Amino acid sequence: MKRGWAWPGELRRAGVFGINRRNLDLVLPHNPRANFPSVDDKLQTKRLCEQRGISVPRTLAVIARQGDIQQFAALVTAHNEFVIKPASGCEGRGIIVIAGRRGAHWLSSSDEEWSLDDLRYHLSAILSGLYSLGGQDDHAIVEQRIVRHPIFADLAVGGTPDIRVILYRSVPVMAMVRLPTRQSRGRANLHQGAVATAIHLVTGETFGGVHLGRTIAAHPDTGAQLAGRRMPSWDTIIASATQLAEVLGLGYVGVDFVLDASGLPVVLEANARPGLAIQVAHGFGLAKRIELIEQHLNAGAATPRPTLLAQLAALG
Amino acid sequence: MNARRASLWVALLLALLGVSGALWRAQLRQQVRLTHGDSLWRVRYSVDFYAEKRGARLHLAGPLDSGRSRVFRQEMYHRGLTPARHLAGARNPREIDLVADREGALRVKAQFDIHVSPESSWRVWGAPAGVGAQTNADGAATALVSSSLAPLQARAAATNLVATLFRFCADEIAEGAEDDPGDVDTILAQKSAPPGGKARALVALCRAAHIPARIVAGFELEADDDARPIVWTEILQEKKWQPYDPERDYAGALPPSFVPVRRDATELAWGTAIREVKTGFSLEALPPPPGVLATGRRTVWEILDLSRLPLETHQVMALILLIPLGALVTAFFRTVVGLGTFGTFTPTLLALSFVYADWRTGLFVFAIVMVLGLASRSLIERLKLLVVPRLSVILTLVVLCLAFSISLLDYARLTPTPQAVLLPLVILTMTIERFFINMEEDGMRIAFQHFLLTLLVACCCYLVLRWNTVGHFLLAYPEIHLVTIAVLILIGRYTGYRLTELWRFRDLTVPPAHPAGPP
Repeated sequence: MKRGWAWPGELRRAGVFGINRRNLDLVLPHNPRANFPSVDDKLQTKRLCEQRGISVPRTLAVIARQGDIQQFAALVTAHNEFVIKPASGCEGRGIIVIAGRRGAHWLSSSDEEWSLDDLRYHLSAILSGLYSLGGQDDHAIVEQRIVRHPIFADLAVGGTPDIRVILYRSVPVMAMVRLPTRQSRGRANLHQGAVATAIHLVTGETFGGVHLGRTIAAHPDTGAQLAGRRMPSWDTIIASATQLAEVLGLGYVGVDFVLDASGLPVVLEANARPGLAIQVAHGFGLAKRIELIEQHLNAGAATPRPTLLAQLAALG
Repeated sequence: MNARRASLWVALLLALLGVSGALWRAQLRQQVRLTHGDSLWRVRYSVDFYAEKRGARLHLAGPLDSGRSRVFRQEMYHRGLTPARHLAGARNPREIDLVADREGALRVKAQFDIHVSPESSWRVWGAPAGVGAQTNADGAATALVSSSLAPLQARAAATNLVATLFRFCADEIAEGAEDDPGDVDTILAQKSAPPGGKARALVALCRAAHIPARIVAGFELEADDDARPIVWTEILQEKKWQPYDPERDYAGALPPSFVPVRRDATELAWGTAIREVKTGFSLEALPPPPGVLATGRRTVWEILDLSRLPLETHQVMALILLIPLGALVTAFFRTVVGLGTFGTFTPTLLALSFVYADWRTGLFVFAIVMVLGLASRSLIERLKLLVVPRLSVILTLVVLCLAFSISLLDYARLTPTPQAVLLPLVILTMTIERFFINMEEDGMRIAFQHFLLTLLVACCCYLVLRWNTVGHFLLAYPEIHLVTIAVLILIGRYTGYRLTELWRFRDLTVPPAHPAGPP
C-alpha cells in the first residue's frame, strides 16, 4: 500500500517546484508586471505573433461593445465552426467551441446545443468581464476553429488537444500535450479532468502521463497508450515558442499550441503563470532543468541551442 | 537573494518595534502623569445577578468625570453578556448596557482607574452640566413635605431659602441606622434619616419650594474593600448645579475625592428581567508613580491609548483589532496549507459576521441565503440579463432572504439577533456568483469543495475572532500588530511546499521509468 503523501525532503530531491517557490523564484523576479498585458490580453498576443510570422488562428471578429452583439448573427452566418473566447480569460474559462449546426442551433464540440440567444448572452457576459482576470470589462474574440491533427484521433475525446511548452529565460524547459477527456467535457484543462503527457524536448516524442494528479499510462476513455507518439513539426514548435518568449519579455512563460489538420502548429495563447502539473506528467520536477539553464546562461557559454536542449532532455 | 534578505530584516525590525512598543507601553501604563497633590484610585465593581431570560438587560453606571477627577482607564469582564450598541449622544457616557446571552446566574466585573487632581479643572465631556431634563420629575410634594416646608420658608424670609433648607437637613435631622425607613415622609416626621435619607429629604423640600434639585450617587474615595456608594444633592442655582451634602456637611463645593457616578437615581446597577442583584464595590488607592510630575492636561498622546475609550466601544474596537489575525489565518491557509477559497477575505468577513451575530444564527442565515441565492441565480440565468443588473437582482434577493430568515427565526422563537443583518451582503452576493461560475465551469464537486473550504477557513477565523481576551489585549497594546505584519511578511516569503502539494505531487517521489533518450 503506497502512502498518500510525500515528505518535503523527497519532493526537494525530486526537484519539484511548489506554487510558492514558482511565484517567488520564477514569476516575481523574471516576469515584470509591465509585460503581463501582452499575455493576459490574447488579442495582443495574437498581434505579436502575426508580426513575427508565427501562426495563430484566423480572427473572424472582435466584439468590443454590448451594441456589437446584435450583429453577431451576421458575422457568423458564413461559418459553421468557430470559437468564442474572452480576450482576457484565464484557465480556459468562458471558451465555447462551436463545431457545427443542428437546425437553428449551434453545436459545441462536446455536443451541447446553443441557440443564438444563448450565444449572445454568453458574449455579453464576456464583455462584462465575468471571465476576465480582474473582472474588468473585456473583449470577445471569435476565431477560426482549429481541426485537430489525425495523430490525436485516439487520444482526445470531444475537443482539440493543446501542446504547452514552458520556457525559462527563453529556453524550453519542459513540454506536454494536454488531451481532452469525456470528464473534461472537451476542454484541455487538467484540473477539469483532461489528461496530459510529457514531450521529449528534442525528439518531440511523448512519455509519462497524468490524469487528475495521478500518473497514468493509457487514455482513460480510449485506452490508447499515451507514450511513444511523435509530435509533427516539433522543431517549428520549439522555435516559435523560443521566439515568442523573447518577444513577450517574460522569463517564465508557458506557450500553448494546437496542431491543425495539416500539422501546422498554431499559437493559442501564452501564460505568465503556467501551472505545475507538467511536473507530474513528466514524473519529475522542474528544478534540475531550471538550474542547468541558470548555470549555462550565467556562465555566458555559447553552447549551441540543440546541445543545451539535449542536455536538458537527458535530465530526469 | 536581495528581496528575501530585505524581507527578513523588515520582519525582524517590525517584530522588535512591536514588542518593544508594547513593553514600553506596559511600563507607561504603570505611570500616569501626576502633579503635586494628585492621587490615583481604582474603583472595582462586582455585580452578581440572575438573568431570568436571554436578552435580560443590566445597566451599570460608571464613575463620571468631574472637574477634578477623571477616569483614565477602564476595563470590564462580562462573560455571558454582550454590550448593547447605542447611538452616540444623549446617554450618560459611562453607562454600560449589557444584554444577557443566556438565562442564569451571571457576573460582571468592572474596574475604573481615576485620576484625582485638586489643582486641575478639566473640561467635563459628555456629562450633563446644565439644566437637566429631569429636574422636577417627582411631581407634587406630599402634605407632610409641604407642612415641613412652610415654617422653614418663614424662617428663611430674611436669608437664603436653600441655605435654610440645607441647614435644616444637616442639623435638625438626626443620623439614623442603616435599616431605618428611608421614605421622606417618615424622615421628616421622625427627624431621623438612614444614610442617604438627608439628601433625599433636601431634594424633596427643594422641589416642594419649586427649586430644581436632584439626587446624585457617587463614591467618596478612601481605601475600602467593601465600599458603599454615598448620596448627595445638587441644587440648581443661577443656572448651575451646586452640590450640597447634608450628611457630611458640604455646601456649594465638595472635596475632590467625591466622584459622581449617577444622577437622578441611586442604584448603580439596575436592569430589566433580572433579580437577586448583588453589588460590591471596592476602592483602593493606586501607588503614585515615583517622580513623575507634569501638568495633567489632556495631551494628544492620549490618542495612542485605545483603552481610554468608553467601555461600550471596547467590544467593537477589540473585534476590529482582531481582523488582521483573521487575515493572518487566511494567509496561512492559502499559502502554507494551500486551500483554495472563494475570494481572499471572504472567510475573514464571514467569520466577522458570525462573531457579530452569534455563530448559530450566522450559519443558519448564511445557509438560507446561499440556498435561496443559488436557486434564484439559476432561475435568473434563464432571463439572460447583463452582469451588473443580474448581480443587483441577486443582491436584492439576498437582502430579502436575510430579512425573512430573521423573521422566520423570530417566528420560531429563536431570538434573532438583528446583528445577523450585518452579514456582509455584497460578499455573499459575489460568493453566490463565484460559486455558480465555479459550478458551471468545473462541476459541482469542485464548487462544493471550494465552498466547504471557504467555510472551513471561515470557522478557523471565527475561532480567532471570538477570542475576546486577545482582542482586549490588542486594544491595550495595538502595536502588537507590527508583529502580525512581520509574520505576514515571513509567510509572504515562504517558498516551501504547501501542505496540499505534499499530496498533489506524491507520485513524483518514485524515480520515473526514464523516457526515451535523445535519438
